[in-house]
Amino acid sequence: MERFITQDNLQRFTAALAEKKNVLAPVASGGTTTFRRLRPGMQLDFSRMAVISPKDATFPRNETLLTVQRYPEESGKRMELQEHLPEGEMVVIGCRPCGTRGKLVFDPVYETLAIKDPYYIRRRDGATFITLACARPETTCFCHSVGSGPADATGSDILLTAVEGGFVAKAVTPKGEELLGDALFEEPGARAEEAERNNTKAREMMGQAHDFSSAAEKLLKRFDDMDFWQTQSDKCISCGACTYMCPTCYCFNITDDEAGLVSRRLRTWDNCMSHTFTLEGSGHNPRSTKAHRLKNRMGHKFSYYPDLHGGQIACCGCGRCIKQCPAGVDIRQVVMAAQEYPDER
Amino acid sequence: MNANPYLPDMATVVEVIEETPNIKSFRLVLNDEEKMRSFSFKPGQVGQLSVFGAGESTFVINSSPTRMEYLQFSVMRVGEVTTRLHQLKAGDQVGVRAPLGKPFPVEDMQGKNILFIGGGIGMAPLRTLFTYMLDTRDDYQDITLLYGARSPVDLTYQAELPDWLAREDVKTVLCVDNEYPGWEHKVGLIPNILLEMNPSPENTVAITCGPPIMIKFTLQALKKLDFADEQIITTLEKRMKCGVGICGRCNIGTQYVCLDGPVFTYAQLKELPSEL
Amino acid sequence: MSGEVSQLEELKAAIRGQLDSLDCVIGWEQGYDPLHATPLFIRSEADLERLTISPLAVHNPATYATGFKGEKIGLVVRGCHSRSVIELLNEKLIERDEVVLFGLCCDGVVSQRKIRAALPADPGFVEAVELGNDELHITVAGEQATLKLQEVLADKCLHCAYPDPLVADVLIGEKHAPRQATSPACQDAFEALGNEEKLAFWQDTMSRCIRCYACRNVCPMCVCQDHCIATSRDPLWMSQENTPVENFMFQMIHVSHLTGRCTECGECERACPVDIPLMLLRRYMNKQVREVFGHQAGIGLDKTPPLLTFQVEEARIKERDW
Repeated sequence: MERFITQDNLQRFTAALAEKKNVLAPVASGGTTTFRRLRPGMQLDFSRMAVISPKDATFPRNETLLTVQRYPEESGKRMELQEHLPEGEMVVIGCRPCGTRGKLVFDPVYETLAIKDPYYIRRRDGATFITLACARPETTCFCHSVGSGPADATGSDILLTAVEGGFVAKAVTPKGEELLGDALFEEPGARAEEAERNNTKAREMMGQAHDFSSAAEKLLKRFDDMDFWQTQSDKCISCGACTYMCPTCYCFNITDDEAGLVSRRLRTWDNCMSHTFTLEGSGHNPRSTKAHRLKNRMGHKFSYYPDLHGGQIACCGCGRCIKQCPAGVDIRQVVMAAQEYPDER
Repeated sequence: MNANPYLPDMATVVEVIEETPNIKSFRLVLNDEEKMRSFSFKPGQVGQLSVFGAGESTFVINSSPTRMEYLQFSVMRVGEVTTRLHQLKAGDQVGVRAPLGKPFPVEDMQGKNILFIGGGIGMAPLRTLFTYMLDTRDDYQDITLLYGARSPVDLTYQAELPDWLAREDVKTVLCVDNEYPGWEHKVGLIPNILLEMNPSPENTVAITCGPPIMIKFTLQALKKLDFADEQIITTLEKRMKCGVGICGRCNIGTQYVCLDGPVFTYAQLKELPSEL
Repeated sequence: MSGEVSQLEELKAAIRGQLDSLDCVIGWEQGYDPLHATPLFIRSEADLERLTISPLAVHNPATYATGFKGEKIGLVVRGCHSRSVIELLNEKLIERDEVVLFGLCCDGVVSQRKIRAALPADPGFVEAVELGNDELHITVAGEQATLKLQEVLADKCLHCAYPDPLVADVLIGEKHAPRQATSPACQDAFEALGNEEKLAFWQDTMSRCIRCYACRNVCPMCVCQDHCIATSRDPLWMSQENTPVENFMFQMIHVSHLTGRCTECGECERACPVDIPLMLLRRYMNKQVREVFGHQAGIGLDKTPPLLTFQVEEARIKERDW
């Protein structure tokens, strides 16, 4: 089911939505565009891909897993543990298909037959994704090479495509269809075809996709070649920008904070590029150098994860890691270098 | 295990045993009597102990499932959480998330000779299986234990060693790195003592655990003694957080030590990238 | 432009002559698109061919110096980068005989933020870039734009007092006439704000911070990044919680640890993925250091940073004026 909405009406629709639910949208702030909780007066900024991904909606930077109340010994009471499961709904609007796709990488990890992460599941089930198709690719976009594309609706509830004067909105799920019943949405008419043409044009602009299918095997072949990984990681500074920007990166840390008699177990984003990620209590560290860590990052995304999950690459091709890396490490180049490494050497 | 895999069960410390200058064993009972009664696990499985306010760490369930008066965990003091654990006394509250991970393949070991090789705190998971086997002795052929530590005071389970040494249905060999006054047992590094003992691989399963460097050289020694890859079992340690294969940090290639391990055969390890 | 090309050839020749005795020489090459450069680790003639020294080459090679302990490397350095090297030498974090410095007399590097603000479309859609006489001819999303280099140079360059390397084994380019350091307008404007406004600014700005530590890891002086107080559990100084308060706390610690050591290379601000104006804090801190200790980091060899030494009586701190 398709509808059309003008630019201004989309702003109105979003503002009205923000009064009833939490809305996460790209907002211009401090010279950059990031996803923020929409408050009255904030202007939506759809002009560029937001710098950070919308993964805060399903995987926030911090969340309290549980709290524990201790009691003074004299009181005779024991400790009380309180679970803190998330409540409420979130609407993400204006994310790109690559941002929405993060969920696809999280799902098979956070919800298995045996283990179900209730924090992630509740947030994901309570989240609505109104995704904006891309009009043209950036130099760092390669979603088409990892099984997606500029108008990929997978994981979305509604897909918006920019057309003359506004957006064509296509319902992808029943949740999306319900939202499109709002009076601000009109019949699309010929605009539906215009949207179709725009989406085709955007895909054409991306050119030929790169074939990453040999990456899983080739990366493993290079596992013991530390010279290769030394060279690939030369300019890496081992921060966490790539990981935190990435819509598909899902690693986290669990730490306890204590204040007086109350302690809190906190889950926060963590990154495999940091030195302490695998540091053991004994002092032993299996990944003590940035070369080891870069190898693991590339290996996980293009080799281990696909091997475990039916070939799906744990990368959405959004290119944020390339753009935001202070040193310009290019994940495409690293993986391709492994793919092209001659076998006999 | 709770529906929320991150939610610990509250437990009370019933006894603290000072094993060595930096290792203590904690005996716990789950506060929920029904849960304690129905708690079941297999040797080799681990648990996450919480000291609320400090954090959680992973330890093997050190007591045998044949002896369920308590759950025992042996803890070496190395950092934030273990230091706070070492301050606990009987009556104190902790959190327990258990059982986690895959156990020793006990069914495959029945009817075979068992060779245990433990180094230092690596004896902890071996003790679970060793005690379990003593309690089901008839299921196994010869049982040999080679247990070594840096020095006599670094040997854990001192209260049980005399019994293990005295028993006729197991052969126990103890060793320390150097000579010590009053030390009556072997002196030398574990892999060398193992080669000296020259155990036969015939119908034998070898289980080893200890610091990474000890595991490495013990594996080499076992290969020298012609043990096949499938006959060698080890249990690994990694920095862990979630304990259920989600947080992404304890992997060796595609395998997560908390979920697919911590028990691995040498055959399995050889298939994985070398990232111990 | 031809001047720059011959400077590049001169630099290449100088590097070529020393390549055999060095583990690598760190410079820059074309990056992921025509608007970006990226650090280049030169180990062969083939690597050397890709060297660029255009105003797009913004990264501070000195950041990598301490990662090559025990080896001998070369660094291509601009004025501000040479200050980082001097500071590393003064703190004995690297040895002078372990590094060969190929100095570039610098006319400034670009600010990607300023380029983005000046272009008619997002720089992510760049198709071609041509560097002309003091101009950038950029084709972006099908449109042509010409930007004056002066208008997109980084703030640090517009106010730079040390465009020529203060220490170098080889010097390329024309030396500049001496100039005074000046303060950027954004710095003065911020310092003029009242406390309430400053607080509101940091509350809002720090809510963008994702604690990626790009600022810390890109800093040449942050050599303890793998054992940082921000992620340490023993001692425990900070929660891992990613709130404005904790984020700002991290910056306070970072700036404090850089007191008397920060050479204002500006990499922290450039590296921040969410455009937090970190230099506001560091410039302010450096002002205090100048006033209190009469010291500026990275401009003279064999100077000890003021917080790494102890004087019974500080020349500029009048403690005993009861």
